[in-house]
Amino acid sequence: MEIDDFDMEEFGLSRNYFLAKESRSSSSKKSVNKLSDIEVLNEKELEAAVANIEPKHQKEISALKDSYKSSYSEWVFKLRCGFGLLFYGFGSKRALIEDFASTSLTEYSVVVVNGYLQSVNIKQVVACIAEVLWDSLNPRRKIPRENMSILQQPLSSQSMEDHFAFLDGSWTEENDCFVGVVIHNIDGPGLRDSETQQCLAQLAACSNVRIIASTDHVNSPLLWDKKMVNTQFNWYWLHTPTFEPYKIEGMSFPLILEHGNTNQSAKTATIVLQSLTTNAQSVFRVVAEHQLSHPDEEGIPISSLYTACRERFLVSSQVTLNSHLTEFKDHELVKIRKNSDGADCLYIPLPKEALEKLLSEIN
Amino acid sequence: MSFSAIKVEGSALRSSMKEMVRFSCKGAVLNFWFQGEAQAFLCVVDLLVTMFILYLFIPPMQTHFVLHRASSGNHDRKSARMKMDNASPADYTGLNSECKDGLWQQLQREAFEIVWSKIENTFKAVLKNINGDAFNEIHSWVLESFQAIRSLGSISSSFEAIRPFPIAIDAASKCLHAGLVLTRNIEFVDDLMTFEDLAENLRSRGCHVANLSSLEFSYDNGTSGCIRSLLRQFLSSPVDAVDMSILSSWYFAQGNRDAPVVVILNDLERCCGHVLSDFIIMLSEWIVKIPVILIIGVATTLDVPGEMLHFNALQCLRMCKFILQSPMERMNAVVEAVLVKNCSGFSISHKVAVFLKNYFTNHDGTLSSLIRALKIACAQHFSTEPLSCMLKVFDEQESFHGEKCGFLHEVISACDRAILSSMGKMDEEGIQDMVSTLIELKKMQDRWSVVVLCLYEAAKCRQVNLLDLLCEALDPDLLSSGRIGCHKTSIKGRAMYCAIQNVRELPEVMVVNLVKSWEKHAIAIPEIHGKVKDLQYNLKFENGRRRKEDLPVIKRTNQNHLNALGGSRAFNETAANFLECLINDFMQPLECMPSHEIVCYKNVEKLKAALAGDPRRQIQVDLLGSCRILQCSCCSGDGGTLRPSMQDTSIMYILSQEHGDLINLYDWYQCFKLILQPLGKVNQKTKQNQGKKDNNEDEELSEVAIQSRGSCGCKAKGDRIICSGWHMDSDKVMTSPVTLGDFSTD
Repeated sequence: MEIDDFDMEEFGLSRNYFLAKESRSSSSKKSVNKLSDIEVLNEKELEAAVANIEPKHQKEISALKDSYKSSYSEWVFKLRCGFGLLFYGFGSKRALIEDFASTSLTEYSVVVVNGYLQSVNIKQVVACIAEVLWDSLNPRRKIPRENMSILQQPLSSQSMEDHFAFLDGSWTEENDCFVGVVIHNIDGPGLRDSETQQCLAQLAACSNVRIIASTDHVNSPLLWDKKMVNTQFNWYWLHTPTFEPYKIEGMSFPLILEHGNTNQSAKTATIVLQSLTTNAQSVFRVVAEHQLSHPDEEGIPISSLYTACRERFLVSSQVTLNSHLTEFKDHELVKIRKNSDGADCLYIPLPKEALEKLLSEIN
Repeated sequence: MSFSAIKVEGSALRSSMKEMVRFSCKGAVLNFWFQGEAQAFLCVVDLLVTMFILYLFIPPMQTHFVLHRASSGNHDRKSARMKMDNASPADYTGLNSECKDGLWQQLQREAFEIVWSKIENTFKAVLKNINGDAFNEIHSWVLESFQAIRSLGSISSSFEAIRPFPIAIDAASKCLHAGLVLTRNIEFVDDLMTFEDLAENLRSRGCHVANLSSLEFSYDNGTSGCIRSLLRQFLSSPVDAVDMSILSSWYFAQGNRDAPVVVILNDLERCCGHVLSDFIIMLSEWIVKIPVILIIGVATTLDVPGEMLHFNALQCLRMCKFILQSPMERMNAVVEAVLVKNCSGFSISHKVAVFLKNYFTNHDGTLSSLIRALKIACAQHFSTEPLSCMLKVFDEQESFHGEKCGFLHEVISACDRAILSSMGKMDEEGIQDMVSTLIELKKMQDRWSVVVLCLYEAAKCRQVNLLDLLCEALDPDLLSSGRIGCHKTSIKGRAMYCAIQNVRELPEVMVVNLVKSWEKHAIAIPEIHGKVKDLQYNLKFENGRRRKEDLPVIKRTNQNHLNALGGSRAFNETAANFLECLINDFMQPLECMPSHEIVCYKNVEKLKAALAGDPRRQIQVDLLGSCRILQCSCCSGDGGTLRPSMQDTSIMYILSQEHGDLINLYDWYQCFKLILQPLGKVNQKTKQNQGKKDNNEDEELSEVAIQSRGSCGCKAKGDRIICSGWHMDSDKVMTSPVTLGDFSTD
């Protein structure tokens, strides 16, 4: 029966996962090699090389994208039925969605939101969508005179609630008038907080709006509760892997080798430390010097650090020291682990060379 | 230059902007040098203005932009449709493909809208009716509470109404009436509609009603968020100040004083207790000026207010309890109206029904998700099944035979011939046959639904879930095997068996009532109705004389067995056998009928994929099976062998899978290099005649390429697909599927 198939499938997946874990944990050997053993290129060289990478399988990727074109009319039908389209699968879906919107949604206005950018302002986006709807309704005089009061103020000065009320209004007799809102990476860093997602859900629930979004995070369904999924976004999931590189979407993220580079880590730590007070820098120096002189220990115990800092007149009380330590921990400059006596020890998560470089720079 | 007309293409445009600005700067400096100060000054101003405009209109990376504005295609499509409405069937043949597409899409959409609106209206009506008694009870209590508040006294002037402080009243009269509505459903999403219905119901009876959600009771907003929402809903115009005196003056000035003010809060458990306590205390202080009556939805138990609210707030409340129907009762009512009674003609196959049942019981458990799944199924049905548009006229009476033929003409003309080729020749005779088949299909569907309803009536006291019964009733294998009739075989526990067995065990009086309910269900189907009437007659007869006459329905089957039973047992057996006969004679699953595809949705895989995507699993599957998806010939060699031509991210992901949960970045990189190395070697071979220096350069280049590919592959969507959640400390990377892309680590 179907129920059995379904459960067996789920069971099989989880079983395989645990079996794999078991087999790996027993057979795997710990490697002592470090990334620093690789002669990692500098940042500029790496970025230049990345820019020159010749993409693989361009022909096949192009054919894959073309194969989705036959589904465009079906996707439009789903939008007209009141669903929001949610594209997922490996590869950048930016070009695919924009091509779909440009070729198949010409009857409707389309606004594009780049959710992968940190600086997205949801209020501005909603105002922009309201403005676009207003423009598409106004020339046809579709807004009844008695409802004009809602839009007597300029759109930009209205509240979000006013915009939502306008976007949800029934301005036309036929319910085939909507603004398509393309959201690249609805799970992007600029849109990921719950308030923004609530706003987007409210936007999606408006009768004159249809959302066409893409998602890449494997945990993206956790962003939404059942109300948002079932009654507001009303998602129609579409699995559309494209295997296209995330060139634009990944622009604001560092490259992994560049990120893991010792120089890069030291540089980041230096920038943070330079923004702190001289006393804080000196406290950090005490931790670093202890780590360099006692490489085999777990780190400096907090009590020893306090004594050392008091001797050097860097802190006057435990409270002051704690405030410095909080600052360090927030910026991940230091971490805590326990030594053999069970005491909390502070250590700096940087290799010796990077630490030396860092000390020389803050000196 | 319009703002919307410009689409920024990331770095390319940025670099071109830089070029422009650099060029302009050069020009400005040259102008300054050769043409004198005044002109140069103007030129620099020009440049600055240009730069400012560029900055305004072409920011380096726009967060949002208008891709395009709506064209007039919509009107063209409608005018084409209007032309087609006035055309005769003969005119359809001359349609070009573009016109056909437009007409086809229009037909699809019209049919979907008609069918879905029937389904939607049906379940809305069901949900409204199912809580009808509770709503009446609540309304009576609201009126009583209002009278009680009025008896405390009222304000006489508008001045009093807008005074910032309320009239000094004693503690006993600061009482706020609160109705706790026990939803018995932890999934508040299903109750949103219930509370909206309640609001509408009370509004239609003259109350002033406002709905508040838990979002308004958040810690950040405080009570001002609630007051703002109340003002917004009652005053219907935006207000700048947030003050209860505005609400008070509204209540006094607008002549609204004869009606109670009802505030509905739909999910108590999700509210911030402090804010709600403050809100309750504030409302109780204003109770004489604004007679507010609170209705609060409680999902779990009635102890929740005691646990959540402050003592002072609890002191103000005078609570009353109401209970709504349970989620399962609501589910059964909706399934009965939508899927069993087939309000729209649209139906689902056995596999789809089983999937929906499992999805409801194992995963989501909300009615709203079931409705969404049905809507997706419905939309998919109309977009994939060519003749599904016939559902638009499916439930009309037989007398409209001609109209059906006309519509079928239209549908066939709009369809692609290739799609219809499998259906044989569609001439006039074929169309007549098709219409007759549809009418027969409708009759069969009606008979089937009557039998299911009779079974459900019989199974009700055994707490049988209608969805289980529906799944069995739709199962073509179960019914074709004829196992239902043979109740002594191994189908124990099944819903149908339970129903039949229950009839055998019911007291006589209840059997009589049961048969009466069967009669009501069968009233529209003469052949079944006649049989029920016969059964009623026989039961009456038997009751009087006890097995002295032949029983027309059962005499052919179980005569000998019946004679052996006692009087009461035989009475029940008669009814049970009748039910078995109904199943055997009339309960033919839709999937066994010819042309059932027109009304029956069957594609469970497609429904599953569209209903709930599984990005975690699917992205990993994509990476592991990139060759299969891309259908490339170069990578699909021996099973599981990594090839340098494969996608970099796929190679890295497969390698990470081989390494286990904890990866050493160095080893990982070396493995990746090893896979890609053949490419480097090939390059070296082709250039083997060059000098040693050149070879060294090649090696370096190869290393550069590998590092860049490795970085890019890992980056693949920044650290959001793969790298997210990776520890970079001590050169180790966590890559188990569980830690992939954990939000908390971002």
